[in-house]
Amino acid sequence: MKKNFDAIVVGAGPAGSSAALTMAKAGLDVALLERGAFPGEKNMFGGVLHRLTALEEFFPDFWDQAPLERHIVKKGLTFMTGEATFNVNFDTQASDRTPYNGYTVHRPRFDRWLAEEAQKAGATLITRTTVDDVIREGGKITGVTTLRDGGALKAPIVIAADGVLSLTAEKAGLRRPKFDRSHMAIGVKALIEMPKETIDERFGLVRDQGASTEIVGCTEGVRGGAFLYTNYDALSLGLVLHLGSLADSGKTPYDLLNRFMAQPQMAKLLRGGRLLEYSAHLVPEGGYEMMPELVGDGIMVAGDAAAMCIVTGLNLEGINLAAQSGVLAGKAALEAHNSRDFTKSGLSIYRRMLEESFVLKDLKLYKRAPHMLHNDRIYTSYPELVCGIMDEIYRIDGNPKSTMTQLLMRAVKEKVGLKNALADVYSGWRSL
Amino acid sequence: MNIDEIFDYTSFNIDREAHIVLDPAICVRCDQRACTNSCPARCYTWSEEEKKMTFVYDGCLECGTCYVVCRPGAFKLWRYPRGGFGVSFRMT
Ligand SMILES: Cc1cc2nc3c(=O)[nH]c(=O)nc-3n(C[C@H](O)[C@H](O)[C@H](O)COP(=O)(O)OP(=O)(O)OC[C@H]3O[C@@H](n4cnc5c(N)ncnc54)[C@H](O)[C@@H]3O)c2cc1C
Ligand code: SF4
Ligand code: SF4
Repeated sequence: MKKNFDAIVVGAGPAGSSAALTMAKAGLDVALLERGAFPGEKNMFGGVLHRLTALEEFFPDFWDQAPLERHIVKKGLTFMTGEATFNVNFDTQASDRTPYNGYTVHRPRFDRWLAEEAQKAGATLITRTTVDDVIREGGKITGVTTLRDGGALKAPIVIAADGVLSLTAEKAGLRRPKFDRSHMAIGVKALIEMPKETIDERFGLVRDQGASTEIVGCTEGVRGGAFLYTNYDALSLGLVLHLGSLADSGKTPYDLLNRFMAQPQMAKLLRGGRLLEYSAHLVPEGGYEMMPELVGDGIMVAGDAAAMCIVTGLNLEGINLAAQSGVLAGKAALEAHNSRDFTKSGLSIYRRMLEESFVLKDLKLYKRAPHMLHNDRIYTSYPELVCGIMDEIYRIDGNPKSTMTQLLMRAVKEKVGLKNALADVYSGWRSL
Repeated sequence: MNIDEIFDYTSFNIDREAHIVLDPAICVRCDQRACTNSCPARCYTWSEEEKKMTFVYDGCLECGTCYVVCRPGAFKLWRYPRGGFGVSFRMT
């Protein structure tokens, strides 16, 4: 096997394949290394692939080319208590027209497709190959070693796109050896088979329209929430739980997931479905605060490996940031090859391009969101507050009604406390 | 969903070489054992009677939770399985 390349990309997820595609299209000789038997075999996520503006130059008709399930036209937020749910839905025609705003996808299909596009563009895709360490010469990273017959590959540039734990960035000394558990969340997911017609009926959809819902109040006090997304003929349903809070709670993710699925409102939606697959993965929720060094001598870090995730409770963005950072890392590699400067300062154009793009702008904008989400009231008191108010508004029991103000004040005092509520509104406003 | 039947739902290509190796002596002294409840595949079981940690990597989903949650640092080895081995998601 060939051993020398212009660039090595570790990990054929959205970040890695975007980087490889960018470089291969521009004529660089790229190795794209993936530990799975095929790209995507190891990858799970909730399920909404946001619009990938970064890849539109390569795929002008993305929606006709990529293996997508449904495009999302309905976005919902649900507050849940043991007994009630309160839903807010946003349903817009604008999302029913191309370019679509987001899609549900199956990662083993989507990631494989994207990596194969990079391969078609000329990248050398090497699967079943786990990168073990980086090779260092004179302080510079000049390649990687793999767990496959102790093989080594060399290149003046390595792009670490190996996902949330990025052992590659750690070996290169770009991230701290220990993670803070409060920066991470664990996602567990059940993929549930259901006929297309049933999904269309239950969620009010036609053609390949899709719906996505985020749910709070369903995690028994553990910080986190749930998601429910429609695929073509399957539902993706799962929980995202803050790791510190889960660890301290003594509860297990699968028990919480089981009880969530058995909740009467959920059970109605899931009736008749069959469990196809169970999966789990970490989310680098800390975002900007946990970001490693993005550039070193001979190395750049992209996607989840660089903690490029934005979690606001309303939306989870990761894939779009991964693809954009991958494309920019690829462009930075092209620049570095032009100037023959592979040092940290030569590659620092990567950071500058990220600063100018939505990636670092949005990560900075939402850098307080993780703090807001570390507020236990969101996960119990507020869902109870909202559902309690709705219950009073609709209830007919022979008693005279209160005004909305009375209702709200009473509920806030009972469930949250006035001072807390004001502080939370302020911190929520600042974070979002 | 019964977590003990994980092999019915999710496919694995189990490697004979372990990708995670624990130092059980450290687990005996551990004050939280957060791995036992946080691991989504229940790979860690602590026996209070025997004061013993049992770890089985066969159903490991390679999620990374134990790597992050273990504070005492019980891992002699923590890496992903060799290429082509381990969990194999088909649809997710
Ligand atoms: C539960 C959950 C829900 C989510 N929901 C959403 C969502 O709705 N929308 C959204 O945009 N994002 C979502 N995300 C985040 C999104 O999945 C990630 O941001 C995205 O996958 C990051 O892409 P990546 O290419 O950086 O990393 P990954 O997708 O993790 O890819 C990394 C690749 O590197 C490979 N690899 C790792 N180590 C090695 C090694 N040593 N050698 C060789 N190969 C290696 C892996 O096998 C993998 O293929 C969610 C995440 C989770 C966990
Ligand atoms: S948290 Fe670490 S040290 Fe403690 S029991 Fe688990 S693996 Fe062992
Ligand atoms: S990586 Fe995840 S599934 Fe595997 S043993 Fe650790 S916590 Fe369990």
